[in-house]
Amino acid sequence: MKDFLLILKTEGSVWTDLSPEQLQKHIENGGAYIGNLIKEGILKNANPIGKGSRLISESNGVLKDGPFNESKEVVAGYFHIVAKDMDEAVAIAKANPIFNDLPTKIEVHPMMAVQGI
Amino acid sequence: MDLAEDVVQDSLIEAIKHWTYKGIPDNPSGWLFRVAKNKALNIINREKYKRQYSSDVAHLLQSEWTAGPAVNHLFSEKEILDDQLRMMFTCCHPSISPDSQVALILKTLCGFSIPEIAKAFLTNDENINKRLVRARQKIRESKIPFEIPPGKSSKSRLQTVLETIYLLFNEGYSASTGTDLIRYEVCEEAIRLAEIIAAHELIEEKSTIYALLALMQLNSSRFNARQDTEGNILTLEQQNRSLWDFALMKEGFINLDKSLPTNQISIYHILATISSYHCSAPGYGSTDWKSILTLYDRLVEIDNSPVALLNRAVALSKVEGAKIAIEELQKLQNIPSLKTYHLLYAVMAEFYIGMDQFGQAADQLQKAIELAPLDAERIFLQKKLANCNEKIFKGNVPFSNSHLSLGH
Repeated sequence: MKDFLLILKTEGSVWTDLSPEQLQKHIENGGAYIGNLIKEGILKNANPIGKGSRLISESNGVLKDGPFNESKEVVAGYFHIVAKDMDEAVAIAKANPIFNDLPTKIEVHPMMAVQGI
Repeated sequence: MDLAEDVVQDSLIEAIKHWTYKGIPDNPSGWLFRVAKNKALNIINREKYKRQYSSDVAHLLQSEWTAGPAVNHLFSEKEILDDQLRMMFTCCHPSISPDSQVALILKTLCGFSIPEIAKAFLTNDENINKRLVRARQKIRESKIPFEIPPGKSSKSRLQTVLETIYLLFNEGYSASTGTDLIRYEVCEEAIRLAEIIAAHELIEEKSTIYALLALMQLNSSRFNARQDTEGNILTLEQQNRSLWDFALMKEGFINLDKSLPTNQISIYHILATISSYHCSAPGYGSTDWKSILTLYDRLVEIDNSPVALLNRAVALSKVEGAKIAIEELQKLQNIPSLKTYHLLYAVMAEFYIGMDQFGQAADQLQKAIELAPLDAERIFLQKKLANCNEKIFKGNVPFSNSHLSLGH
């Protein structure tokens, strides 16, 4: 099994852009999806990302740290999962019900974790 | 992988404390927390130590996305049963001493407090505490994994688990003092643990488990009839059979049936069958001792422990008479482990009493009293000795040496 980092980017936020009914449904579906990942032993960790992110950048030898510019796309959170290969990781990411609720992109990154520990 | 017992339980409690003190966060997702927290608190209050939290999932309780689903997962029925089975295998690891295994099971799987365990074992809190500390240390140092052993090793490990469960059961069942209520609970817990194993899909070889379950249920069904109202121990012969728990006995018979299609007869099969003969006899007098003796013959072939040999002698006395049984016991006296075993002499005394040879019986009782390890047993034997002496004083029995030397 290999480790993968899934980074979720959404346009807008479920908290502000969904109606109470839609939000309720989103929580139910998301909970079921995550519950299943736990049951199958796929999920190592997952966290939503809050407001107030910062961006540190270097230019001409000077480190600057400023607000993380989120236009209409926000980094909503990440999943750390294990999967057999990239194809399986992609399939797991595609099953995320967030796609039904908001315009969403999920980046699937293979992690170079040391195996067998 | 860390063991759940300390680490994981702590982390869950820590998470809940954190939630409790910090309160619900301002952001709207806070209510997700509240749901998870209330649910977890309710279940934890109810379950207390009855279950452990598997370490792979515990950290997920700390994330807003995963806390709710993780709680649901941890408290799903299947997970609880899986965890209990894993915990059983961990507690019963061969590198932990049997005494500590039993104490550890009572503490972690049955939710007994240390004073309760101490009472059940006729020892003090400090002693039990030491056993638990030693066991936990061993688990940490030997890095015993919190898992159901995979593949072939599971079979032999399962045997150890069953042995420990039977030991646990006997701790509850056999000792003559201690708080009855707790002792009966210990028996019930042993049965409950065996039922968990019997029901689990990962365990393939079930015949032996059914046999152990049958044995414990059939014996337990007689639990309440074993003492009179003053707390004196009653022998099978003296028991009021209407006090037997016939519902439990029926379950025992059902499990005995289930255990029978097997080509590997275990001691539990034989002992359960013997117990079933006692249960199905309408009265003590109509017990089928011949069949019971045949079963004991088979038992001592695979288990020549002192208890098995002595019980066989009892059955022998019922079939062939006390005289032949006494000769058998005299032969057994040459076995070193039996030479110092007080019950050998106690049983021999019973045989002599049955033949009205009270002088000989008193000699044997005297030896038994010297060797008996527990106060309660000594008191029981001394009562018997007093009865014998009374009979001797009535004058129709020749005095024995030991009687004269006692000077009364």
